[in-house]
Amino acid sequence: MGHIYREFIKILFQKRTYFGWAGLFLVPFIIAAAMRLSQEGPPAPEQGGPPFIHLIELNGLYVAPAALLALASFLLPMLASMAGSQTIAGEAEKGTLRTILMQPVRRGSILLAKWFVANVYIALGLLILLAGSLAAGGVFYGLKPMMLLTGQTVGVAEGLWLTFLAYLFVLAGMAAVVSLGVALSTLTDSGLTAMAAGLVLVIIMLILGSLSVFDFLRPYLFTSHFDAFTNLFARPIDFVPLGKALANFAAWTIGMTLIAWVIFRKKDILS
Amino acid sequence: MCARTPLQTPALAHTEAVSANAAVDDGRRVVLSTHGLTKDFGKLRALDHLDLTVYEGDVFGFLGPNGAGKTTALRLIFGLTYPTSGYVDVLGYRVPEQRREALRYIGGFVDDPMFYPNMSARRNLRLIAEMNQKVSDKRIAEVLEMVGLADRADSKVGSYSHGMRQRLGIALALIHRPALVVLDEPTSGLDPQGMRDVRELIRELGRQGITVLLSSHLLHEVELVCNRAAIVNKGRLVVQGPVSELRPADNVVKILTREQLRAAEVIRALVPGEKLRQDGEYLVLQDSPDLIPEVVRRLVLAGIDVLSVAPAKEHSLEEMFLELTGDSEEG
Repeated sequence: MGHIYREFIKILFQKRTYFGWAGLFLVPFIIAAAMRLSQEGPPAPEQGGPPFIHLIELNGLYVAPAALLALASFLLPMLASMAGSQTIAGEAEKGTLRTILMQPVRRGSILLAKWFVANVYIALGLLILLAGSLAAGGVFYGLKPMMLLTGQTVGVAEGLWLTFLAYLFVLAGMAAVVSLGVALSTLTDSGLTAMAAGLVLVIIMLILGSLSVFDFLRPYLFTSHFDAFTNLFARPIDFVPLGKALANFAAWTIGMTLIAWVIFRKKDILS
Repeated sequence: MCARTPLQTPALAHTEAVSANAAVDDGRRVVLSTHGLTKDFGKLRALDHLDLTVYEGDVFGFLGPNGAGKTTALRLIFGLTYPTSGYVDVLGYRVPEQRREALRYIGGFVDDPMFYPNMSARRNLRLIAEMNQKVSDKRIAEVLEMVGLADRADSKVGSYSHGMRQRLGIALALIHRPALVVLDEPTSGLDPQGMRDVRELIRELGRQGITVLLSSHLLHEVELVCNRAAIVNKGRLVVQGPVSELRPADNVVKILTREQLRAAEVIRALVPGEKLRQDGEYLVLQDSPDLIPEVVRRLVLAGIDVLSVAPAKEHSLEEMFLELTGDSEEG
């Protein structure tokens, strides 16, 4: 627990932590304000538009899943990649990695504490995004009973619960991105290099997932599963894509963290 | 840079109870030893079968030119890197296998001490030191006072000068009263007064029986503060032992008399001609230290006034270092 506490203190002393969180808080307000100012409004899903956004004008509760859907494809993976890639490489670059590893600590414990706190950073970011979404939706449109994507209506409390589950689902997806970042972070002493490598890989996965010729790869790319949370807003819930997505996230998370652990355990600290 | 606050030396620290596993050699407890310590980086052999022995209470100088392998050895001692072969023994604990146990007895830094720039010195010390064991506010204040940073304890380390970070590194090294303090060029970046303060602090550590391994390229620094030293060059140990024994015996003597020609005749009867030469107003006698009393006696018996007999040249550790490493560049 001591390592986790210390790692958390470290991120609280970094300005970029607050920039990331502030950005996440502002995004829902930007979406809600844009909807209010827009003359035409976005197209409905049946006209090729994304789900949720066209419903915001009817119910502020939709700001939360709409913001999540908008950010899950790029900004959130970017933040998660950044958080993961700074864990080891960021400290190596500053020279503080050797300072902490000259203390009688287990390298594995340090790595896991850093991995955990990077995920906590993203979890808090998602919580801030959710709070901002509810605040923006409430202020601009009010929070009302929610009509699901399949037409049924649920109360505000259940709507909030489904939204919370959707955020938890995306957090699981971001854990895979964080783990990829951590693994890359053990390979270099440059935080920037690790971050760039993480972002490039996420972008490559997004591109591969969007090209039909690479459809056979889609089940294995974590980026292809981030939007599976939309199934939570249907009745009956289709658990198959949700299960596949969670299995994918778990495989990436465990695999990448294991790779990071194997590399870091025997890494020569030369920074 | 903050206003100069001298380093405090009294009641500095004391060696905690050390491991009973520590080896004993010649009646002295071995705090640190390296055994065939070798490190390769690809095809480059950075350290080649290094065997060092540092005894309890030693202030041990670790000397070598740039690239000699000093920092490589220190990284291996702290378990930051893994040896290609060989191992380090710290009070009976092997590094890298028992790295965590060994590190409980070591404090110090390798290269420049680095800290979190957005945090104060006080918070840095607490955050890092508590990775080892709990540390009290009082102890943090004590070590900051010791290194002259008490008045800047709550300033962000990012605002510190290089010298102040060096001092903070020393504070962190001492905070748990370790049995072995390892300092890598601790006076680098300090002004002359700062250097003097740090050297005095190291001497005081030695006086209190704390073992210090001081890596330095400043030979006079080692001569000033260390009782034992090792010289490494190109990854290999050149020599190690007491500093007083590392310095070569002075074996060239200058003799000044009132009658140099007659004096030379008298001395030639005692020593081979090639051992004696004239250098200005002096006669210079080489490699015959045992004969000096007899030479002086004969000169006096011959009625020659001997005005002075003195070593022709003071051999410093620096000269010996340059001779051994075959390198005229200090550093």
